[in-house]
Amino acid sequence: MATTEDTSPLLPPRVEPPAFWERHRLTLLLVLSVSIALVLTIVSVILYTNSGAAQLDLSRPGYRAVSDKVERNSEIDQYSSIGPVTDKTIQEFIKLYKTQAGKAKAVDAFSGDPLNPEVLVFGSSSSDN
Amino acid sequence: MHRYYRSIGTIAFSFVALALFVVLGTSSVHAASPELSSEQRQHIRSECTQIKGSLSQLHASDALLRVNRGQVYESMTSKLMTPFNTRLSTSGLDNKAMTTHTLQYQSALVAFRNDYILYEQKTSEALRIDCGQEPARFYQAILDARDLRSTVHDDVQKLHRIINDYGDAVGDFLLNYKRLAN
Repeated sequence: MATTEDTSPLLPPRVEPPAFWERHRLTLLLVLSVSIALVLTIVSVILYTNSGAAQLDLSRPGYRAVSDKVERNSEIDQYSSIGPVTDKTIQEFIKLYKTQAGKAKAVDAFSGDPLNPEVLVFGSSSSDN
Repeated sequence: MHRYYRSIGTIAFSFVALALFVVLGTSSVHAASPELSSEQRQHIRSECTQIKGSLSQLHASDALLRVNRGQVYESMTSKLMTPFNTRLSTSGLDNKAMTTHTLQYQSALVAFRNDYILYEQKTSEALRIDCGQEPARFYQAILDARDLRSTVHDDVQKLHRIINDYGDAVGDFLLNYKRLAN
C-alpha cells in the first residue's frame, strides 16, 4: 500500500542537507594540493641538502666567483676492463695508474688550519696588540 | 559519503602534521656556547662583517676544492681500480689484494663525502649566525667547523695512503705474474 509521501505530487522529495566536506570540496582540494606540494618540496630540499648534491652545486649564490674554476680537462683516462692480461698490459696499467695517482695526490686538500680562531676570529686583534 | 570526506580530511591533516614534524625535526639544536671574555665578544661584534667575509671566501674555495678533488678521487676507483680488478678477475687471476684495497678506498671515499657534508653544513650554519648578536654561538660554530675540516683532511690523507697501497699491490702482482710466467 502506497503512503501519502509517495503518491502526493505536491510534496517535494526529502533531501538530506549536504555534509560539511561536501559543502567545502573546493577548500578541501586546495588544502590537499598545498599540503602535498609542501611535503614534497620539504622532502626534496632535505634530500638536496643531505645527499651531498647541494655541496657540489656551485651555481648557488655565494659560489659564483669559483664556479668557473671547476677543472673540466683533468679527466682520468679510463682503463679498459676487457682484454688480455699480459706483462705488457699490466705495465701499461702501472704507468697510467702512476700518472693519475700523482694527479690525485698533487694537492693536500683541506690541509692547514684556516679556521683557527686565533687567525680567523682574533687575527686582527693579535696584530693590533 | 560523509565517512569518505572525513577520511580525506584526516589524510589532509596528516600531511600538514607530517610537514610540521619535518620542519621542526630538522631545526638545529643549539650547542652550549663557549666561554668568551667580554673583550673577545666585543671583538667578534666589531669585526663581524670582516670575519664573515673571510669565512665566506673559505667556504667557496673549499667547495671548489671538494668538486675538483672529488672528481679525481671518484675517477681513481671508477676508471682505474675497478676496471683493472675486473680484467684480472675475468682472466681468472688472483686479484684479492687489489680488491681489498679498492673496497677500503671506496669506504674512505664515502667517509670523505659524508664528512665534507657535515663540514659544509656547519660552515653554512656559522655563516647564518648573526655574530653581532650572538658572538659566542658564532665562535662555537667556528670551532665545530674547524674540527670537521680536520676530519675531512684526515679522510684525504687516508685516500692518498690507499692509492699508494693499491699501486704497491699492483707492483707485487706484476712480480708474481712474471715469476709464474717464467
